[in-house]
Amino acid sequence: MVKDASSSSIKKKRKATNAEADSEIDIYKKVIEFEDKESTNRQGSIDANLYFELCQDIRNLLTEVFELKQTDPSSKKLRDIQTEIFIKMCFIKKLNRTDKIRHVFGKETLATEKQKCDSIKLNYQNLVYELHHLVTETSKCLAFKSKDEDIELVPFEEFMKEAPESLTKKFLDYDANDRVQKHSLRLARLEWELTQRKNLAHLCKSLVEEQKKLGQDLVERKDKLNALRPLLMNIINSTKPLQEHLDISLKEMRVEHKLAYLLPDPLYIFYVNVVSYKNVNDLNLEVEIIGDQDDAVQWKESAQEGHFLKDDESDEQDQEVAEVEEVVEVKKRRHRKSIQQVDPMEEKKNKLLEIHPLKVEITASLPDGPSLTIIFSYQTRLKIITVTSNATLPTKMTGNCAKDVLMGDNILCELIDGDTGFESPNPITKYQIKKVGVTSFQSLIPHIGYAYHWAQKICGMDFLSKQMNCDEVGSTNVENVMKILFKRLESRTDLANQLQLLEQNILPKLPKSAECPPTSACSMTKWSCITYQKYCQKEFTRAFVEEDLVCPNDLFYSLLLTRANASLEALIVIKNNYPQSLPLFSLCMKFNGVHFAENNDEVRDMERLLNVEISEKISSVLTVQIARLRSYFDVYLETTDSKAFPQTMTFIRPTCARNRKRPFKFRNMGNGIFTQY
Amino acid sequence: MLNKDFYSTILAQVISPCGNYLVTGDTSGKLSVFHLSKITQSDVVLSKEDLLPKYKIIVKEGFQINSLLTTPQFLIVGVVGEIFGYNWKSIRTTNPQRNKPDWSIDIPNRKNTLDTMDINVINYDTINNHIFVGCGDTIYVFDLERRKLLKNLSKHVDCVNCLSNSETDLISGADDGVVNIWDLRSYKVTNKIVPHLSEPVARTELGKWIGAVSANEDYVLCGGGPRLSLWHYRFLTYSTVFPMDDKGIHVAEIYKEKILAGGRSRLFYQMSFIGDVISEIPVSAATIYSIVHQEEPHNVSCLAGSSPKVDVCSSFMYKNQQLSLY
Repeated sequence: MVKDASSSSIKKKRKATNAEADSEIDIYKKVIEFEDKESTNRQGSIDANLYFELCQDIRNLLTEVFELKQTDPSSKKLRDIQTEIFIKMCFIKKLNRTDKIRHVFGKETLATEKQKCDSIKLNYQNLVYELHHLVTETSKCLAFKSKDEDIELVPFEEFMKEAPESLTKKFLDYDANDRVQKHSLRLARLEWELTQRKNLAHLCKSLVEEQKKLGQDLVERKDKLNALRPLLMNIINSTKPLQEHLDISLKEMRVEHKLAYLLPDPLYIFYVNVVSYKNVNDLNLEVEIIGDQDDAVQWKESAQEGHFLKDDESDEQDQEVAEVEEVVEVKKRRHRKSIQQVDPMEEKKNKLLEIHPLKVEITASLPDGPSLTIIFSYQTRLKIITVTSNATLPTKMTGNCAKDVLMGDNILCELIDGDTGFESPNPITKYQIKKVGVTSFQSLIPHIGYAYHWAQKICGMDFLSKQMNCDEVGSTNVENVMKILFKRLESRTDLANQLQLLEQNILPKLPKSAECPPTSACSMTKWSCITYQKYCQKEFTRAFVEEDLVCPNDLFYSLLLTRANASLEALIVIKNNYPQSLPLFSLCMKFNGVHFAENNDEVRDMERLLNVEISEKISSVLTVQIARLRSYFDVYLETTDSKAFPQTMTFIRPTCARNRKRPFKFRNMGNGIFTQY
Repeated sequence: MLNKDFYSTILAQVISPCGNYLVTGDTSGKLSVFHLSKITQSDVVLSKEDLLPKYKIIVKEGFQINSLLTTPQFLIVGVVGEIFGYNWKSIRTTNPQRNKPDWSIDIPNRKNTLDTMDINVINYDTINNHIFVGCGDTIYVFDLERRKLLKNLSKHVDCVNCLSNSETDLISGADDGVVNIWDLRSYKVTNKIVPHLSEPVARTELGKWIGAVSANEDYVLCGGGPRLSLWHYRFLTYSTVFPMDDKGIHVAEIYKEKILAGGRSRLFYQMSFIGDVISEIPVSAATIYSIVHQEEPHNVSCLAGSSPKVDVCSSFMYKNQQLSLY
């Protein structure tokens, strides 16, 4: 460092001397140039080796000096050695100098290389920016969308067929891969679309005008027709005296017949049959056609039009057109939907469940009993008859249970065995309702009514069905159904009368033929309706439920008999075809424990006597059964514990045989006696 | 529709001498014949038809069949006041629809009155070819060959329910609560047991009637309204009162050093002499009225009672099959 500083000072000095003498400068420059050259030409490693050699030499010389000074301080050789050392020193100095120069040179070259490098990097950066910019620009271009893409154009084939040749001839050899051509095709099609739309708009305008015109025409004609009506009325009125004179009241008949003519075919068949049946047999049966005549006329007309349309559609091509039309319709509807927000499924469903405006209503009534009104409607889409019904009860009927069994739906349920009306008899219906998102026909019943099989049959409709029974077919003509209906109505009324009394805990009057004692020591304490679920929950009804003897459509009641601290609960199932099927009793006695058929033979025997041993199928069979149950209960208690229950019934022996049979059988001898056989 | 047989009660059963048929008699007066051979094969899958009776014979409409007995030649049916005999051959071979009894015996003085008596039990004396008939409060002894009444044994005051006989003795149980032990040589009552007078045996709420008796050389087994109990033959004192959960005993038997017993109970019991329960079989009937068993040719036992079902076991451990009347 010191040497550096000194050398630089020397340089400065030299520079200072530059100005003084040019000649000197020249030498100096030369020297410098020479040195530069020298330093570049020489190799650093060689210099370093040279330097190490020199140092070693100096060291050797110095030791020599030291030895000489020890031995012979005044030797002449000493001086030579000194010079030699100095020369070597000079050499070292020279080496140092060249090294310095070389170092400076290296630094300079490094600086220039660095600069080069920087400029290249800058260039590169610029290029990257440019690339990025270009990429964003291209993506922007790619993302570009024009409004024309939203416009629905006529298909290419149609365009080629229909557009003028001036537009299409360019594209006769259209190649979908040629972009330019594709673009120009698009332009052409757009242009064509525009012209077409303009034309259509014109057409629409003219049609609207025409419609308006026609409307006016219609109004005019209607006015004329209206003016005609009073004239016609006048004529009819003026014929009245003549009619009266001839004793024919054509008018009502005519109205009915006119309506009948408008009935859909199935209802017409039924109407004709039922009216003739009624006229032949003097019955409390009223038949009426209800519904608006005008609607019916309109419906008939539209149906006929529909027929013509259908005829046309037989052509396949036309069918396609119709489909296209439908598509257009759907589109329009969607458009409307967005405004009105109507569920298309709901709309479809309503359309499917369309009924004919005319219905047939029959009213069957019993003298001072209830009357049952049944309305038959025709489902025009489902092609089945549905039935709704309503019963008018006499005012004296007040009990809940009694009212229940006279409800229209209840009376008609299983009029013919197994015919619940829950399933559509038409096998197609299943798929039709599935299409509109309804899973079961049963869920539609509140809207449209029950689809009883017998109703289809009396309307002359026949479907492929799972079970086809000769009996069933035979009993489905109008006469039989009406007979069954009246019989059902009668038996239901009888049942309702019995229930009415039972609800007030009074045993209805027994028929004379009934073999049971008229009085009983036990009392009826409760009679109530129960549900199927509740029925199934009881332990002592399990056997019946397992044997499938009861179904949810049946009627369920609970009866409680009591005597002192003993009680007998009876759950009673009344089938819809009562009294053809006996009411089914399940008993549960509470007396010194809980007894029922599965753990007590006597209760089992009582159930047997009630459920299978009664043969008379009369309408008051329920009363008979209850009266007998009362006597069985008495006999059981009196034969079991004669101390707690003093004997009121007469029997010979309390038990008999190995199964310790109780004397449940009543014999009408004297005051009545109970025996085992 | 509810089947009438839903409520049938089987009061008696018998297995044919050949061991292949089971005959049940129910309260509707019907004999039902089942084939045992197929049912007892363990490796065969049985269809529903196999478990139904092969045919039915109506003995007397409206009167229940109270008792059945088999002799090598005849099936003897006790109805009400009348005994019918069917030849086993005719039951097995002829058209069952026209099956008529080969002979019948009327119980004297009992027929066609209001007080007609059930023939609750018929027992067979193999040595003398006699039958003992428990009907009403009397035991009738008939010679089977000539079908002639030999003797009336009337010491009971109420209906005889059950009989058990050995070579020399006849044991009877009745509704009056007395178990009489008769000497068959003299037809005299030599001893009697009155279970309802013993405190731990009596059940006053169920009554004093005796529903079942059985005996071997050392013991008499009896039960009914009173609890099932085992009595010493000689000392006439009870040795064991059995711990059963029941509301009346109708079936009890000493069988191979075990006690089998059933009645109004959901279980059928197999017990040891000292009263340990060996097995309990849940049964389908509310009350068991009849049990029959055999070892050859098929090892089978059948339990029947107030149910249209007959429970079939191959041992007295658990139920293997269930026959049904309908």
